[in-house]
Amino acid sequence: MTDEKFSPEQSLQLIRTMINKTKRSMSDKSIYFLVWGWITFVACISQFVLKHIFQYEKHYLVWTLMIIGIVFSIYQGRKEEKTIRAKTYVDESMKHLWAGMAISFFVLSMILSRLGWGTVVFPFFIMLYGLGTFISGSIIKFRPLIIGGISAWALAVGAAYVGYDYQILFGAAAILISYIIPAYMLRSRNKTVEQ
Amino acid sequence: MFKDLDPILHSQLRLAIVSLLISVKEAEFTFIREKTNSTAGNLSVQIQKLKDAGYIDVMKQFKNNYPQTTCKITKPGIRAFEEYVINLQSYLGKG
Repeated sequence: MTDEKFSPEQSLQLIRTMINKTKRSMSDKSIYFLVWGWITFVACISQFVLKHIFQYEKHYLVWTLMIIGIVFSIYQGRKEEKTIRAKTYVDESMKHLWAGMAISFFVLSMILSRLGWGTVVFPFFIMLYGLGTFISGSIIKFRPLIIGGISAWALAVGAAYVGYDYQILFGAAAILISYIIPAYMLRSRNKTVEQ
Repeated sequence: MFKDLDPILHSQLRLAIVSLLISVKEAEFTFIREKTNSTAGNLSVQIQKLKDAGYIDVMKQFKNNYPQTTCKITKPGIRAFEEYVINLQSYLGKG
């Protein structure tokens, strides 16, 4: 590119081209949805099997699997920090949203461990998943995530009408619809955009 | 009457740099060079001109032991870009 003067039409075209180039450089965050989605899904199904089928008392221990997600997120975040060359507002918003979501999950866990987990834990957790995916989908303008978020909210209400064991399955369904499926769709959309 | 287009922005490479920076929070020198297809020498000169005009901030730091230059648009830079686009539209609309 040279430093020559040019016409207003060329100016406008140049602005458009450059803005489109930054759009394409938005980083692909689907890996986080996939890793967290699968870990949570496996945890839900395992908890259901341990509790409902084997009547194992310490069924909740499966949630220690979340540590894998935390370790992965820290590792991946650091790796990206080293390679990232432009910080977009979308990436920044997503980072703050999910940091806030993680804190909310932690706060909710603290509250429930004091007041009792009872049958409220899954409806509230599913509702929060819905919030996170709905906002994420709105930020990156990706409809499957928005639909996933709305579906999770519906499942959160539905979970309030069933017993604890089946609430776990509602949790698994919410993860599948709001995280895993949209994440695979996002991944394939990003690959198409890159080509 | 058409308003004169800001001479700082009405130059191909400088406008490309500002158009890139308007849509990101900040970007590294190498990223801008790649997206604008410019040479390091020319890009440095144009970045310096934008910095002197107060349109962008240039931060120099070390990342993984390598020197790194990061650019970020300033508020006067955003205002100048908006005004430039408005003037451009008046040219195109009436021209």
